[in-house]
Amino acid sequence: MYLLLVPSLALIIGVVVYPTLYGVGLSFQTMRLNRPGNNGWAGLVQYQRMWGDPIFWLSLRNTAFWVTATTIIEFSLGLVAALALNRNLPGTKIFAVLILLPYFLPNVVAGNIWALLLDSRLGVINDILVHPHILSAYKAWFADPNTAMPAVILIEAWHGFPFFALLLLAGLKGIPTDLYKAATIDGAGRFAQLRLITLPMMRTIIAAAVILRVIGLVNSPDLLLILTQGGPGRATQVLSLYAFQSAYKDFNFGYAGALSVVMFILLMIFAWAYVRFSKVNEE
Amino acid sequence: MHYRGDLALNILTYAILIVLAVFCVGPVLWTLLTSFKLETDIITSQIVYLPTRFTFDNYVKLWSQSNYPTLIINSMAVTAMTVVICLLTGTIAAYAFSRFHFRGRTQLMLGYLVIRMFPAVLMIIPLFILLRNVGLLDNRLGLAIAYTSFLLPLYVWMLKGFFDAAPKELEAAARIDGSTRLGAMFRIVIPIARNGLVATCVFVAIAAWNEYLFALMLTTSEGSRTWPVGLQLMVGEFNLPWGMLAAGGMISIAPVVVLFALVQRWMVAGITAGAVKG
Amino acid sequence: MATLSLNGVRKSFGALEVLSNVDLELDDGGFLVLLGPSGCGKSTLLSIIAGLEPASGGDVMIGERRVNDVHPKDRNIAMVFQSYALYPTMPVERNIGFGLEMRKVAKPERDEAVQRAAQLLQVEHLLARKPGQLSGGQRQRVAMGRAIVRDPDLFLFDEPLSNLDAKLRVEMRTEIKRLHERLKTTIVYVTHDQVEAMTLGTKVAVMKEGIIQQLADPQTIYEKPANTFVAGFIGSPAMNFLSGTLDVEGGTAVLDHAAGRLPLPRLEQDVSAAFGKPVLLGVRPESLHPARDDGPSLSGVVDVVEPTGPDTHVLLDVGGQPVTARLGPRTGLAHGDSIALAVDTSAISLFDPQSGLRL
Repeated sequence: MYLLLVPSLALIIGVVVYPTLYGVGLSFQTMRLNRPGNNGWAGLVQYQRMWGDPIFWLSLRNTAFWVTATTIIEFSLGLVAALALNRNLPGTKIFAVLILLPYFLPNVVAGNIWALLLDSRLGVINDILVHPHILSAYKAWFADPNTAMPAVILIEAWHGFPFFALLLLAGLKGIPTDLYKAATIDGAGRFAQLRLITLPMMRTIIAAAVILRVIGLVNSPDLLLILTQGGPGRATQVLSLYAFQSAYKDFNFGYAGALSVVMFILLMIFAWAYVRFSKVNEE
Repeated sequence: MHYRGDLALNILTYAILIVLAVFCVGPVLWTLLTSFKLETDIITSQIVYLPTRFTFDNYVKLWSQSNYPTLIINSMAVTAMTVVICLLTGTIAAYAFSRFHFRGRTQLMLGYLVIRMFPAVLMIIPLFILLRNVGLLDNRLGLAIAYTSFLLPLYVWMLKGFFDAAPKELEAAARIDGSTRLGAMFRIVIPIARNGLVATCVFVAIAAWNEYLFALMLTTSEGSRTWPVGLQLMVGEFNLPWGMLAAGGMISIAPVVVLFALVQRWMVAGITAGAVKG
Repeated sequence: MATLSLNGVRKSFGALEVLSNVDLELDDGGFLVLLGPSGCGKSTLLSIIAGLEPASGGDVMIGERRVNDVHPKDRNIAMVFQSYALYPTMPVERNIGFGLEMRKVAKPERDEAVQRAAQLLQVEHLLARKPGQLSGGQRQRVAMGRAIVRDPDLFLFDEPLSNLDAKLRVEMRTEIKRLHERLKTTIVYVTHDQVEAMTLGTKVAVMKEGIIQQLADPQTIYEKPANTFVAGFIGSPAMNFLSGTLDVEGGTAVLDHAAGRLPLPRLEQDVSAAFGKPVLLGVRPESLHPARDDGPSLSGVVDVVEPTGPDTHVLLDVGGQPVTARLGPRTGLAHGDSIALAVDTSAISLFDPQSGLRL
């Protein structure tokens, strides 16, 4: 019966475990593909370098901001969508399909769609905002360090909130309707019901959704690679992007490995802290 | 539940749904529109909202003047191979996780979660070296194998969930009738969980089709490059005109929309199901 | 003053009418049971009384006040659900006091009320626990505690015992009756279990397909059912129905049935209008006894004998029609035996076979 697991396990070990261990090992080496002379074991050199690297700390701050803002926006939009869909009014099916669409679009297309929408010369959004004088002129969203990060957050949220909507909707369905009837008779208004019954009962699903999404956001630089590459300047430089660039622009595999390990540890700490402090384990 | 307030709430609900739907689909529709516009209508100082002239030029040019068809075919090949690998190795693993309680089961499942926490960047470097060593770098099969690194656990996880939902009594009855465990799996469980199997495969297919990062790093030549990398390359290096870019985007998401249409029946059934009573 | 009064209440979902012309009144301190099979509309009626569903027509009056447009929380009612509907993330204490909390009752008063309710239902030792940590019976008590803590005018119970096992059900049934007598509350109770209806109710409304078939006290419903549906629904084993023609002989009604003639000397109904017509005779299994004299009797052949401990259910074939009798514990009967059973004709009912109505 263990035989059933062998093929997939072999594959995983070969394609996941081995490379990961190798990658972790890299973080303890210096390996620059374009300076092979220096390669070899180097202990904690990479980590020391990281500690003193201002770009690392900047990336860390940006990552924290980006992940927090995006997650909060996605959660809120997802919750609103889930609550609206849960009412199951006629036509819900169509709305559900439309609302879920962005999540299944490839990052490349999503990024370019919004690149066109926010383009400094051709962007429709600019046009829509300029006419009622909300904006005085077309904005170069991605060229301005102050607006680049918010723009990216918006796009990422557009792309990812259906994930929350889907999971939260599943959670909502699991709440027995009798509870709402009892609460109505007890005198709780809709908002009170949301706060005291619905959300507490969804703690586990919310935790799962948040942790999974945070992992996804921290680890993949896809959208940023397509849209800003960390710019303008370093306004949207995040850790995953920094690691990527260390590996494939600077060919500094050792440093990239170290950055990745740090990202991994941060995620573990986050997941542990969230579960520990959010009362999820009480259930 | 007080019915007086229901009308106001219904209106609010529809308002929310409409706004969200426009928010979600609007950008895609705009891109679709753009793909049919003449280039001059796109690069104008006055934005053309509803063009008076339509053209298929963008699609034609993209298809015939660039290597886009090759890119699409490569993506199809990689996606197909990924799904097949997952099907072959993951189905039996999912079955094992679902039906057997063996030592280390929880650890393996937790291990899956931990694996997800590994940054993709950390994996790509050694994967790059590994694939290069076995000669599978810049190779569609190599890319498919690389994809399984993050898609196979997802596949097993999702499929296990569907297997869990299939009642165990039927297999017990089949085995009493003389079938083997594996036979029971093929003849009983899979037909019941067929919808789940299809949904899981579609999920994996969409993810493989859309994937950018691994493809970017693990393919170097046109021979095996997938469409996301190719399209983005055209934008960056060859300054692809917006119209053709829009066309390229639309072409590439067509399969996704089709696959999505397949899965949505299952997903939306869950969405429009009633909640439990008590 | 009637605590609850329904006049002409109707309910339709689109074209489907689930409740038709419901009229009933319940006095202060009364215990009304809405009894009927699944789908008869009893739970819908309860929801309408509670205000969770709007009535499509008619008036709902609670304590002389028309409450059709009044929000459930302002109707001064409390409800106990089949699933108990306890808030799983809150401790029992907060569950019980939730209604008071929502009405902004000050904490000290709230705590006191919760304590009193908890003591009454013997759950004080559970106040700090969460519903998930309680047994079914304990959850039931907490749900009742939540209901009584606000001292409402009207209590609504929606099949509260259906989720309990048989033994617990009997215990809790007694609890509810005791509570009713002690607190003198007014209760509307929905169930499909006729034993609950008979033991708990002061008034029973038997419902079928949205229409009240009979509204009376339990004894009347048992002894004088208004139609064959009510007759067959109440009582276990079910009432026997024997078809035949009604004849008259020397001033006494006689049933002419397939296996003979059965005189009905002590019949309490006035059936003169039905002489010569086909009728349905309803006789309960406990009204049949082994015949000892020449009184009215039915003869049949024993088919199945089912000992239950305290008595024996004997299924007979009487001229092709099945008849069940409830006899004593040791009958000595076996399949194939012939037996004559005396009929207590003061306890029978005659019905019109077409309409099912009592004559």
